[in-house]
Amino acid sequence: MKTNKNSMKQKFTEKLKNEKMVAFGFCLPALIPLTVFWIGPMIFAFYLSLTDWDFMSKTYNIVWLRNYYSLFQNPEFYRTLRNTLYFTAGSVIPAVLGGLLLAIMLNRKLPGRNLYRTLIFSPWITPMVAMAIVWSWMFNPSSGLVNYLFSLVNLPALPWASSSTWAMPVVIIVSVWRTLGWAMVFYLVALDGIPDDIYDAARIDGVNFWSKLRYITLPLVSPTTLFLSVVLTVQALRAFDQIDIITQGGPAGATRTLLYEYYQTAFQKFNAGRAASIGVIILLIASVFALIQFWLSKKYVHYQ
Amino acid sequence: MNKKNLKLKFYKYNIGKFFVQIFMAFVSLVMVTPFLWMFLSALKTQQEIRAFPPTLFPDTAMWFNFIETWTSAPFDRYIFNSFFTATSIVILHIVTTAMFAYAITQLTFKTRGFLFGLIMATYMLPVAVTYVPSYIILARLGWLDSYQGIIFSNSVSVFAIFLARQSFLQVPREMVDAAKVDGAGHWHILWHVFLPLTKPIFITFGLINFVLMYNNYLWPLMIIRSREMYLITIGLRQFFIEQGSYGVKWPLIMAASTIVVTPLLLLFFVAQKWFIKGIGGTGIKG
Repeated sequence: MKTNKNSMKQKFTEKLKNEKMVAFGFCLPALIPLTVFWIGPMIFAFYLSLTDWDFMSKTYNIVWLRNYYSLFQNPEFYRTLRNTLYFTAGSVIPAVLGGLLLAIMLNRKLPGRNLYRTLIFSPWITPMVAMAIVWSWMFNPSSGLVNYLFSLVNLPALPWASSSTWAMPVVIIVSVWRTLGWAMVFYLVALDGIPDDIYDAARIDGVNFWSKLRYITLPLVSPTTLFLSVVLTVQALRAFDQIDIITQGGPAGATRTLLYEYYQTAFQKFNAGRAASIGVIILLIASVFALIQFWLSKKYVHYQ
Repeated sequence: MNKKNLKLKFYKYNIGKFFVQIFMAFVSLVMVTPFLWMFLSALKTQQEIRAFPPTLFPDTAMWFNFIETWTSAPFDRYIFNSFFTATSIVILHIVTTAMFAYAITQLTFKTRGFLFGLIMATYMLPVAVTYVPSYIILARLGWLDSYQGIIFSNSVSVFAIFLARQSFLQVPREMVDAAKVDGAGHWHILWHVFLPLTKPIFITFGLINFVLMYNNYLWPLMIIRSREMYLITIGLRQFFIEQGSYGVKWPLIMAASTIVVTPLLLLFFVAQKWFIKGIGGTGIKG
């Protein structure tokens, strides 16, 4: 009996050991690229941001925090920072609110629901580069479709991407156009998950539309709102394609975001150290956003 | 009185429905306008496209614009590059995701909670930080401007791991145990029990990641130099710049955009249930 138990125990530990080896082997194919192209570079970026390397030279100097210091000394940097916040707020908030509004309207047994959903979602599938080119043509100040439609309703023709006031709205409109349907689909699923009897009970109690929205729908979709605002913020911080195609950060830096500055510093000015420090700042901003969003979610997000 | 009230309510309800229909139709039209405008513009002549007020349809459809576009840049090469790299990446995603998700859901080892947390953290962080260091690493490996550079630097999808983990957790314990009693090893169980049961999730992230890779622009722009390695997005941008330099040939640019966008729109309309179900069903519960 005892030996039997012992051998069983031995077998069990052997199995565990074996399982560990298997687990290691199974994780490896994902862990190697993840370490080489994600985690490693993340750590490497911090080190790089303390140097003045230019990609080519054999040697480089450790300049400690001088990259950061010169960034914070530069008024242009604050402009870039403001642009980034403008773009992030401008593209995330309308996508979340608009997505919710569209989902609420689609969430009844509306004839043609699937067709609307398909059409509204379709921009998300298409390459941003191609569609940014199309949009830049539609926003063409002299013969674009948008100014023509404006003229039909007696609005003045606007200079759009060539004016420092209107360039950012153009980039934001293109971004929201692409993510609106995506956000809507998330909300549709969340709304489908709300049990009908909650609404039935509210109807019997004679609750009106706004109270239903305020006290039932919004709290119940709040996990989706949190998820979307986090993911869309991260996406906004990495927005590049539409800016590169439509404005190239211009006119006069009006649409230059941190990521665009990062790209230009690294691959046009070849200043690896300084670019890395901008990358670290982007990382910090993303973390601050995430913390704020989670802090807000503790107060306002309800899980069923 | 009561009847009248009911009638009024019915009436109000229908008006509301009518308004919603009009509104949704309008929004849908706005969303697809860029596609329609792109296609119609691709069929116009250089004079027509510049006309103000613009005409909706061209006088005669210039289908020749497509031929001229196709022959003035190696679009076939670009499309091949994009399809080849995106397909290879998706295959790698399937393998790395399935194995990793199996390990963290079915095997017991000390660091598995940590590993999952680590992976989720990378999902939340902006990729931007890693671009310059990854570029340097690729340069050291001698993989800049190469297929293996594009493919291996994208070979893990955190989004896919997240999805696969969710559905692996729902595979019934008894099925795993039954397979084990039959003497099946982990490798066999993964590919012959788990994969068939969770196939929908693999199709979903396979399609989504294919689209993301086909649309990928910034990272390839950094690591690719030579024309024969261009992905379709970079090729299109190059075409845009070249055609723009002498008197902007908008019809040709629109034709090129149409060529780039159409394969994805077709893929979407054929497989849309995978996209929409997959996207909506993810991410929230976790």
